[in-house]
Amino acid sequence: MERFELIVIGAGPAGLSAAIEAASCGMSVIVFDENTRPGGQLFKQIHKFFGSKEHKAKERGFNIGKNLLNEAEELGVRVELDSTVMGIFRNKEISVMKNDSVKHFKGNSIVIATGASENMVPFKGWTLPGVIGAGAAQTMMNIHGIKPGNRVLMVGSGNVGLVVGYQLIQAGCILEAIIDAAPRVGGYGVHAAKLARIGVPFYMSHTIKLAQGIDRVEGAIIVEVDKSWKPVSGSEKTLEVDTICIAVGLSPMSQLVRLAGCKTLDDPKKGGIVPLCNEYGETSISGIYAAGDVAGIEEASSAMIQGKIAGAAASKDQGYISEDEFKARQKKLENSLLQLREGMFGHKSTAQVTHTDEGYELSHSLLKKGYISDTELSHYPGIPTEDDLKDGLVPVIECTQNIPCNPCQDACPKGCIKVGDNITNLPSIETSVKCSGCGMCVVSCSGQAIFLVKQNHSPGYGLVSLPYEFSPLPDVGDIGYALDRLGNVVSKAEVISIKKTPVMDETAVLTMKVPSNLTMKARFFKPAMKEEKII
Amino acid sequence: MSKIIGRALKKDDFVEMPDDHIIICRCEEITKGEIRRAIYEGMYTMNEIKRYLRVGMGLCQGQTCNKLVKAIVAKELGLDMKDIEIPIPRSPARPIAMKAYADDGYMR
Ligand SMILES: Cc1cc2nc3c(=O)[nH]c(=O)nc-3n(C[C@H](O)[C@H](O)[C@H](O)COP(=O)(O)OP(=O)(O)OC[C@H]3O[C@@H](n4cnc5c(N)ncnc54)[C@H](O)[C@@H]3O)c2cc1C
Ligand code: SF4
Ligand code: SF4
Repeated sequence: MERFELIVIGAGPAGLSAAIEAASCGMSVIVFDENTRPGGQLFKQIHKFFGSKEHKAKERGFNIGKNLLNEAEELGVRVELDSTVMGIFRNKEISVMKNDSVKHFKGNSIVIATGASENMVPFKGWTLPGVIGAGAAQTMMNIHGIKPGNRVLMVGSGNVGLVVGYQLIQAGCILEAIIDAAPRVGGYGVHAAKLARIGVPFYMSHTIKLAQGIDRVEGAIIVEVDKSWKPVSGSEKTLEVDTICIAVGLSPMSQLVRLAGCKTLDDPKKGGIVPLCNEYGETSISGIYAAGDVAGIEEASSAMIQGKIAGAAASKDQGYISEDEFKARQKKLENSLLQLREGMFGHKSTAQVTHTDEGYELSHSLLKKGYISDTELSHYPGIPTEDDLKDGLVPVIECTQNIPCNPCQDACPKGCIKVGDNITNLPSIETSVKCSGCGMCVVSCSGQAIFLVKQNHSPGYGLVSLPYEFSPLPDVGDIGYALDRLGNVVSKAEVISIKKTPVMDETAVLTMKVPSNLTMKARFFKPAMKEEKII
Repeated sequence: MSKIIGRALKKDDFVEMPDDHIIICRCEEITKGEIRRAIYEGMYTMNEIKRYLRVGMGLCQGQTCNKLVKAIVAKELGLDMKDIEIPIPRSPARPIAMKAYADDGYMR
């Protein structure tokens, strides 16, 4: 039996961060993960993350995972992959299965960072091939390069449903619809808007009634639900899909916590059964910590901070850092965590928020259908006025909910964009400063909510620049369609420039020429089909 | 469990429901009807239902179906979800081949 000062179970963002923090204080640390790849959920996240610079915002998830692993290994952390922790016993002993044999390890402290698993909804036909979890869809696409299906229905409009829905389209699937039993889109408005402008219909207050098909999914019937979640008869719709993707929330993987004998509670706000922890993540058993999704479903950014706090606390327990040093570290981390939990999607939020912290009314259309309506748009501080538009090139920031995110502010070398000290503030534009049109804000925005608009470029025509993450990348001179925020074709459009440099990290800035009066409507470029004539 | 559940709780007769054929535990292929019937047969706790039907004893070890079974038990017994405990976890927390389990390096 080998002994370590700290055993970490799970090499996701929480576990790796705990290991890094503890190893940097001088502890001997071993990390176990049952996966072949380290990084937990991060390794399948190909999108740019939210948060601030210190939370690694605008980096793509898998890169965050890679960097964490490098950092851990540089600090001498031993990372054991393909190693499933099967049990936790008295005196902090664990059993680990690897390659058909079982080994035991002992730790002075243990950090449990086992993450979460996906929830399922049972409906008629839910065990048919073709009904898959959103996580499985991500694994197929982003790890194995396999398209999960051709026509997909997404059940669940939380961030996972929205993000995976977008990735399905990137992989070449058609997203037939996104449905949610709740009356409002559960995830960030900016993620929803990315789908709506490609033309994905949102059906809120809808649930799945059944999957059609004998030995695989051949269709789905969805039905509207009333306020008491009862199906409204006669409201059924049939969708021709071959894949049904389920994204209805996550549950903490708390088996090991319970095996260890830690006190737990069933907290629906945290996603299910979670360990009872103090502010450092220490469970009811001294020296056993829990961090990340296993302690309550949140995000990778908060998982990393919780991991660090647990790692620092274990270092303090074992005398590697002083009480004072620990307090100082913890305070900084705690502040950063509090920042992330602010805003309408944070811990204090309820589903009933009607206004932003600044007092702007939330877009109803965004919450119901995934896009901001033309009439609502002008309320927000990121939207230029008619006068601003006459002035030349301006950024248009369609980010209208208080989310913990601010890379747009850091991205602009000119200072055209302001979020302020409070990371959840709505970004506003400073029209007194001239925008150079560099496009850095467009590519840095994890929500793809920033556009550049020049109303008068040539007589009768204006320009719209937008973030573009689909392949093949159109060529300059290509003619296609301009789509509005709900994905309707509003005019024909010509690609007049494509900008893609290494710092843009795979997001291109596509600039298209559209009629001047449509520059505040056109938000997506749809290439024409081969041989298609556009008039 | 915060509430003592009387053994005489469920007195009425079992009535079949239209969605009873839906599978709840995918790993062991146990339907909603089988779980409901077990409750009427006197299995009031998730531990009992697990041993009676093998729900949650398959590949995922209840990670997927525990929540679903819990909701069924809550509904049938008229209890709050909070008052129902999920089955006690045991090592091994994951399915494991017997040959691996036999090759336990504890003594080495
Ligand atoms: C589609 C999607 C999009 C997301 N987008 C964002 C985003 O934009 N920004 C953001 O901040 N967050 C995002 N998240 C959330 C984020 O990925 C998770 O909150 C985060 O990964 C949780 O970290 P963790 O370390 O707690 O758990 P995980 O990342 O789940 O890692 C847990 C690890 O523990 C291992 N493990 C579990 N049990 C055992 C065992 N018994 N033995 C050995 N190993 C075990 C698992 O294999 C896994 O590698 C997203 C999540 C999803 C699904
Ligand atoms: S295009 Fe460049 S200068 Fe203009 S707002 Fe964006 S980052 Fe600033
Ligand atoms: S506009 Fe700024 S705050 Fe809003 S999603 Fe984009 S980067 Fe984040």
